[in-house]
Amino acid sequence: MTMSLFSLSKKMKKLKLQKKQTQQTGHPQPVKAIHSALQDQIDYIKEKTGNSTDVNIRKLQLGDGIGPNVAVVFIEGIADSKAINDFIIESTMNHRTVHNSRPLFEILLEDVVALGDVKEITDWENLFLSLMSGESIILVDGSHKALSASTRGGEQRSIQEPSSQVTVRGPRDGFTESIRTNTALIRRRIQNPNLWMENMKIGSVTKTDVSIMYIKGIAKEDIVQEVRNRLKSIEIDSILESGYIEQFIEDEALTTFPTLYHTERPDMVAGNLLEGRVAIVVNGTPFVLIAPAVFIQFFQSVEDYYGRADIATALRFLRILIFFISIIAPAAYIAITTFHQEMIPTQLLIAIAAQRETVPFPALVEALIMEVSFEILREAGVRMPRAVGSAISIVGALVIGQAAVQAGIVSPAMVIVVAITAIANFATPAFAVAISSRLIRFGFMFAAATFGFYGIILGVIILAVHLCSLRSFGVPYLTPMAPLIVENLGDTIVRLPLWAQKKRPRLFSSELENRVGENQKPQPPKSKGMVNSIIEKGDQDEN
Amino acid sequence: MKIERLLFFLIFIVSIFLLSGCWSKKELTDLAIVAALGIDKNEQGRYVGTMQIINPGNVASGLQGGGGNQGPPVSIVSGTGDTIVELSRNTSRKLSRRLYYAHTNLVVISEELAKEEAINEILDSLERDAQFRSTAIIVIAQGKKASDIVKVLTAIDKIPANKVIKTLRITEKTWGENIAVNVQEAIKTLVSPGKELVVSGFRLSGDVSKGTKTENTQQTEPSALLYAGSLAIFKNGKLVDWIDGEASRGSLFLLDKLKSSAIAINWKGKEEAVTYELIRQKTKIMAKMENGTPRVSIKVEAEGNLGEIRAAADVTDPDVLLNIEKAIEKEIKKEINQAVQQAKTYKADIFGFGEALHRTNPKVWKKMKSNWNDVYFPEVKTEIVVDAFVRRTGLRNNPHKVNK
Repeated sequence: MTMSLFSLSKKMKKLKLQKKQTQQTGHPQPVKAIHSALQDQIDYIKEKTGNSTDVNIRKLQLGDGIGPNVAVVFIEGIADSKAINDFIIESTMNHRTVHNSRPLFEILLEDVVALGDVKEITDWENLFLSLMSGESIILVDGSHKALSASTRGGEQRSIQEPSSQVTVRGPRDGFTESIRTNTALIRRRIQNPNLWMENMKIGSVTKTDVSIMYIKGIAKEDIVQEVRNRLKSIEIDSILESGYIEQFIEDEALTTFPTLYHTERPDMVAGNLLEGRVAIVVNGTPFVLIAPAVFIQFFQSVEDYYGRADIATALRFLRILIFFISIIAPAAYIAITTFHQEMIPTQLLIAIAAQRETVPFPALVEALIMEVSFEILREAGVRMPRAVGSAISIVGALVIGQAAVQAGIVSPAMVIVVAITAIANFATPAFAVAISSRLIRFGFMFAAATFGFYGIILGVIILAVHLCSLRSFGVPYLTPMAPLIVENLGDTIVRLPLWAQKKRPRLFSSELENRVGENQKPQPPKSKGMVNSIIEKGDQDEN
Repeated sequence: MKIERLLFFLIFIVSIFLLSGCWSKKELTDLAIVAALGIDKNEQGRYVGTMQIINPGNVASGLQGGGGNQGPPVSIVSGTGDTIVELSRNTSRKLSRRLYYAHTNLVVISEELAKEEAINEILDSLERDAQFRSTAIIVIAQGKKASDIVKVLTAIDKIPANKVIKTLRITEKTWGENIAVNVQEAIKTLVSPGKELVVSGFRLSGDVSKGTKTENTQQTEPSALLYAGSLAIFKNGKLVDWIDGEASRGSLFLLDKLKSSAIAINWKGKEEAVTYELIRQKTKIMAKMENGTPRVSIKVEAEGNLGEIRAAADVTDPDVLLNIEKAIEKEIKKEINQAVQQAKTYKADIFGFGEALHRTNPKVWKKMKSNWNDVYFPEVKTEIVVDAFVRRTGLRNNPHKVNK
């Protein structure tokens, strides 16, 4: 009953969404047709761009006419000036002596512009869109049409090793700020026509390029459609980073946990596409979004798949432990020192008690002082210019590590707890989860100070319930643990060898075929022929 | 509407924390951690409890701040009362902190008190208390007041309670004349009709008044020293007498508690010529009825090495080894026999012969149960079979001869 109600409300939402979309398309914006006189065209462009100095307008003469009849418009810096010089301007000039009776527009399109991607444009809106994205516009006197030639270029950061998610083993390339470079990096890894890409522009002012990538036949159609719908319904003036998009398309806003994965690594995107996920590439940022994201994904590293399975499994256990340490370590310290002194060995209790003798605050206040001052230090360390970084570490080490202890304001045990927590927090592979556990930690500290371990357990239960309630593009956040999907458990806390992971994630990929063939487990040759022949050979040599 | 609900929820959550406060919170600085509890009885017949309270700042060394390492690691506080709980509460008049029993690992009961009263009455309060651990070790202050044992400072283990417990554990393992019994085991034995309690005693040599000063720990030979004493035999919860020496080791054999020991035997007329280092042993006690009287067969399997040979003996010769083994068996048998004889004279079945009979002949046991200790136990016939085995003879084969 509840299930049907749920689906009903979902349908209603969909209906509403569709209505909205039809409303939008029902009233098309009035499009101004391009003027026919070249000077009018140029004047209009100048007026619209406010005479901006980086808009270059070069008048040229094509054929044997008198005076300029063609103009090339491009924006300096985002257009590739070499391509414009060589393949538009130079070739136009070379056509000066040629007389041709055909219309100028056709000559340009067919004979002159030596570039791959050339489009006809008939209205001003598209003209400006192309111009602003770095293409060059060729205006023709006496024509209501213009040509746009793809000359996107200009200075870009080259492909570098990603600064987040560094690995020891694995490819070294990372995404850049250019969307085409990024999609190319992905396509280079999946050389298959089924890797489909859809483009759209989001942001009423910024007109940012956004691409959806997925593998047709592996990705589930519903999820691709859901991603498409959510992206289309975004109404905002600007998209400056993929985080803008993330905030509009995530399933649940009231949570500290990320429901979309973001990465700088093309190999990670490729791996996720092959599991049936959808990638959202945004121009202007090296961070590519991956949807849907599940909880366990944030404890996985690409290196897990490149190294040995047993070691990867051990590391994943460690990461889960790390997650719990970074959440509950200070809370456990508070609980033990204020409620459950019987739980620790006598000698340890005495050691802690001796340190606490001189501390003037209750354990909660002590923990808060240390945690907050550490957070301040960390924030300072991140934001400070690099040149002052070492000063921060000196002050931090002296203030937190030494002076606070010597002054008797905090106990050394607390410093150890804070240090362990901090290191555990840094060791979490996904920054998005690390930062959320930073926040949750404080909640646990208050729960521990109020109810002791009972409070911590309550907190853990609430956390588990919350995680169970989360969805990412309709996929339960805790898959494949809850709901339990046994065949997908091989890539969760344990990482089975690749030949044992036969199935793709069931909830967000269409299971057309297995990932690996049958009997892929490597083993030594069955016959001992190789060994025996060498031994026999040796025997003969002796004879 | 939604904001109202959110606000309500927020207030609800916040009030959980604020209204409850820090429920049953106890800061470490408000606790007096009791390491040992000594129980005596004074002339007026009231209980006197002596608590050994840990002074954390003086135990954990290497800490700056605080007073440093000047004072004694423990302080003593005592209280009087008609019951144990009363005396515990009574101490609050002398103490700035709450007594905290969760780390009390030692209970000392004075010999006098144990002889006068059944100790199960004392143990009740310890078992009933939520803080108190049933794993705390019980010892009897042999020939002294319990407060004396609790008061004396010790050198290597700074907390005297730890010294007592560790001494008992180590000597139980390596010498085998003492036994570490905790509250839970003691209660279990006390309620079992077929077994009587046996607990180690602890002795104090030297002067108590000197032992309570830190100077006691600042000399190589402490003027007051705590050491493990004899075994106290209980009957119906009251201390009857002490056994020590070979008989106490024999008792540990019978209780199957012995882990390792050193047993000296005579060889070719020379006294204590060969020392057998026991490394493991297993004792089985079987009881059966024979002509209306209970008969207990004791089977001991011992294994060990030769640790010392002070007479001419060719240990490369298997026959010699067999003879040594026989001598060892005889010695162990003698010790066990001594223990049985002593227990019989006190009419206290500390070895659990009754329990063994209960297992094999429950019907007979029902009849004998009420009079077991006084009537039937002294009449029990024992049959002791010892199987000793020499595993290794050490790094040397034959003892050296001095040729002159």
